[in-house]
Formats: sequence, structure tokens, C-alpha cells
Amino acid sequence: MSKFFDLNVHAYPETEVPAEELLRVAKRYGYTGIAITNHDDLVKDDSNSNSVFCGIEIRANSVTDLKREIKLYHGKVTVLAVHGGNDKINRAALEDHRVDVLAHPSVEKREGALNHVLAKFAAKNCVAIAFNMNAIIKSRRGERARVLSKMRLNLKLVRKYKVPMILTSNACSIYDLRAPRELIALASLFGMGQEEATCALSDSPQGILEKRWKKENDVVVLKK
Amino acid sequence: MKRAKCKIQNRFAFSISYFALLIPPSLRDRRRYLVFEWISEWGIDKWTLLSEIRDSIFSLYGDVGASESNIRLIEYANAEDTDGGMGILRCAHDKVEEVRAALACIHSANEARLSIRVIGISGTIKGATRLLR
Repeated sequence: MSKFFDLNVHAYPETEVPAEELLRVAKRYGYTGIAITNHDDLVKDDSNSNSVFCGIEIRANSVTDLKREIKLYHGKVTVLAVHGGNDKINRAALEDHRVDVLAHPSVEKREGALNHVLAKFAAKNCVAIAFNMNAIIKSRRGERARVLSKMRLNLKLVRKYKVPMILTSNACSIYDLRAPRELIALASLFGMGQEEATCALSDSPQGILEKRWKKENDVVVLKK
Repeated sequence: MKRAKCKIQNRFAFSISYFALLIPPSLRDRRRYLVFEWISEWGIDKWTLLSEIRDSIFSLYGDVGASESNIRLIEYANAEDTDGGMGILRCAHDKVEEVRAALACIHSANEARLSIRVIGISGTIKGATRLLR
């Protein structure tokens, strides 16, 4: 049985729910570990457990901001994610080899779609593309149709250029978490196969945590 | 003696009418029973939950998809200690993944946040009830 990871979860202090509570529910659902990626705020891992990974989701308004934040957090966190924004932010994030995950590009807003150039950069720099399942769960009707068609397009690009992809819940509370099998069923809504989705929940996140695809000189050993 | 005979006749009549209603086994539609559990902010009653499941399936797959999946809530049990519970949902045997996706899409009921997870799938009610315990 494969190990499942959720690499985009928001915990206290950004939300009300503490990391331990999220981990308890995630473990019950069958996850091996979760990564706490709060927006622009580092959560220190006090519990010393091997299941909660320290991460950050950088939300930047400009490319200069983004570069500065990446420089600031690189080497301090296990998962360095960038909040998908407009075209310029997305491009700057994908061109940077220090970034691990580009979280939900082109899903929340109408701008900032992935294209073939960005997908090539992502493949070259091994920046994983995260599919945010919460966008499917929370939206209805026209909004959900738009989200699904965007995800279908992203999936096509990701497959073509062999970019690592991950499925994330982007949970802000324990009620937003979904079990791995449920996420796989949701991923099939936009055309992701079962094996692909299983890989996106287990093997790819593990690769990101181990920095498997990064070149050796890019990897900074984490100071504990 | 007379009374016993009457009883047997009654039972015989009952069994004939009972089996006449049933479709032969080869023509019956095949079903799966999904055992699911939910956690929510506060307690949710059966009808709210069922209407929420129906809404989700209708919204995700439309009328045609909902008719194909053919769902029915078989069993509903509130947990005593926590705000949550378990239940059994019947669906068509080839629509399990679709129903699972629809269940995962439910995020709130009665303004309480809600999350549903499928624990197990069985081909019979008996097997599903065994999973429920």
C-alpha cells in the first residue's frame, strides 16, 4: 500500500484549527503525512513528529516580492509553494528551481493560465503543479464547470511535458480534508486516470519531500 | 387441525404473491452498498443528509446521471459521542466511483460543515452491515 501525502494544508494561526487536529483526521483518513503551508507565515513544528512537514505558501503581489520571499525561505522549509497568481507570478515561480510547488494556478482567478511555455519551464526546473480539489468541492454549477475545464487543460499540458503533479486538498479545517480514494474519484472528474491520481497523491509528493528530482547543488540541507 | 391447515394455506398464498412481485435474479439490477461515515460541526438528521447527497449527485451528473446511479439511503446511524455518524447508501454496481466523487463534493449541510468518507463497499446489505460495526 502506498503512502499518501497532502502537501497543501492551512493550520493555526492562519486558520482556527491546530496542526495536531488536522494530522489526527488525516491519519484516520489514511494519509502518512501532511505539510502545513500557511500563506506568508512559517509554522514552527513543535511536535517533532515525522508526519507534519513544515512548508510555506508564498503569496506575492510582484515578481520582486516573490524573489525576495523565495530567497528568504529557501532552505528553511521542506515544501516551498507559491500561490498561483497572475501570469508574471506564475512564470517567475516556474522559472525558479528553488520552488517546489506551484499551488493551484489558474483556478481561483480568471487570469494566469498555464501554457506550453510555462509547462516546459516547470518540467525543466521540476516545479510540481498542484491541483486544488477544494475548488471542485466548494464551487457549484458554472463556476465548477469553469474550474474543471481549466484543470483539464492543465492536465493535458502536464501530461505532455511530464511535469510532476500533485493533488492537494488546500484544507483550512478538518471538514475540508478528503480521504485519498475520494480525491482520486474527484480527479477522475477532469480526466485523470486512477493510476495517475494515485501517483499524484503518493509518489510525487514523496519525491518532492525527498527533493528527488532536484539537482544536487540546488538542495540545501535543512537545519534542524 | 383445521386452524393449522388454514395457516399453511395463508403462508402459501403469501409466498406466491411475494415471489410474483420479484424480478428473476438474472434480470435484477446489480447493486453496491457503500458504507460511509461523516463528520460535521453539529448533528445532521437523515433527511437533510439525503437531500444533500441527492443535490450533490444532481449538480454533478445531472438528471440522467442521477437516474443511472439509482441511489437510496439504506441505513443511517448517528454517532453517540461525536458529531458525525455512519450510513449505508445503495447505488448501481458500475457507478461506485461516480457516487464516491459526489459524496466527496458535499461540503456543508444545514450550514454545518461536513465531510463524508466511504469506508467500504459491499455487494450485499449483510456484508455492509458487518462493515458498519
